[in-house]
Amino acid sequence: MAKYDVTKSIDVRGEVCPVPDVETKRALKKMKAGEILEVWIDYAMSKERIPEAVKNLGHEVLEIEETGTSEWKIYIKVK
Amino acid sequence: MAWTGLLIGVIFGIILQRGRVCFNSAFRDILLFKDNYLWKLGFLAVGLQAITVLFVAQMGWIRIAPPTLNFFSNIVGAYIFGLGMVLAGGCASGVTYRAGEGMTTAMFGAVFYGLGALAMRSGIFSGIRTWAAGFNITVAGNSPVYFDKVGPTLATIFNINPWIPAVIVAVLLLWYTLGTKTTDRPTKFNWKVAAIALAILSPIAWITSVAAGRNYGLGITGGWISIFDTFISNQPLRWDGYEIIGIIIGALIASLLAKEFKLRMPKNPKTYLQVMVGGIMMGAGANLAGGCNIGHFLTGLPTLAISSIVASIFLILGNWTMAYILYRK
Repeated sequence: MAKYDVTKSIDVRGEVCPVPDVETKRALKKMKAGEILEVWIDYAMSKERIPEAVKNLGHEVLEIEETGTSEWKIYIKVK
Repeated sequence: MAWTGLLIGVIFGIILQRGRVCFNSAFRDILLFKDNYLWKLGFLAVGLQAITVLFVAQMGWIRIAPPTLNFFSNIVGAYIFGLGMVLAGGCASGVTYRAGEGMTTAMFGAVFYGLGALAMRSGIFSGIRTWAAGFNITVAGNSPVYFDKVGPTLATIFNINPWIPAVIVAVLLLWYTLGTKTTDRPTKFNWKVAAIALAILSPIAWITSVAAGRNYGLGITGGWISIFDTFISNQPLRWDGYEIIGIIIGALIASLLAKEFKLRMPKNPKTYLQVMVGGIMMGAGANLAGGCNIGHFLTGLPTLAISSIVASIFLILGNWTMAYILYRK
């Protein structure tokens, strides 16, 4: 069922700015190369900002999947 | 004519929502994430308005009222405001428009923002404000574009035509914002479009607000106080009170159309306590300082008021302090 072999998943729906961005960064720091992080968000600005920030850190954004009304899952491969 | 605030507010709310214009993020991101996207949006809007607002004043449609200088209030109030906005998860305009997007934490932040401002204006904190008012500094406006008595500006200090510093500041900010590298962000309503839209809306806000008897441009703090004055003391809603209602409606419409509206709730209830404390700090700080990130930064800086320059520096420092404490690692 799962699209990717997700190593870690964080659910930051409903959190205030910039908790989703910061939690993503914190999770990525603890992970090893090749592992996949799934970030569950529900704020449109996060969908625009997190992938850019993640790319700047050198990681790969595999997909931004729409999972519902104003809800997305971002899949990130750690580099 | 106070109802014109509603129209201005709706347009303002749409721009804030579509442009994701959050000053809390703008100030913080440049420090924490080395992301200058919203930071530049803010400064481009300020640079353009230095010209557009002065233009409508030159035409005689408004007289600019740069905020009163008070080193104590501007510094302390703005710093507390800056600390509070990080806790509240948004600046004054940020929590207002996000309330319209269905962010429940922003609704709490915004209501407590209004309560904090009310407490500083006429409630439990008002003693501080009254005491600090003894240090208010105003000067005679040195140009017909100004009111007779104004807070000092770059133009009054050097006793020069207001166009000289306005053009210099506008050129410097345009050169900085357009001439240096900007962080990418995939959005249809990009930072330049949003800044230009704000620079066009701002002088219209001044004109309609002045026509309603309120001598200022876009603002948030006074509007929330007006809403409480109406709600609690049955006073007529003022221009800026209508503007706040407009912002919420505008953000609601824009987010519904973009399918971005959703009632959002954090999992940890502690977040509500955090935004309520942040909201009180922001409101009290903004009322003491004589303006928030909109009143002082977006609207005050383009008038080149010294008070707004001082307040903007300290609200950014407050934001950086709290962002560093909470989110540096």
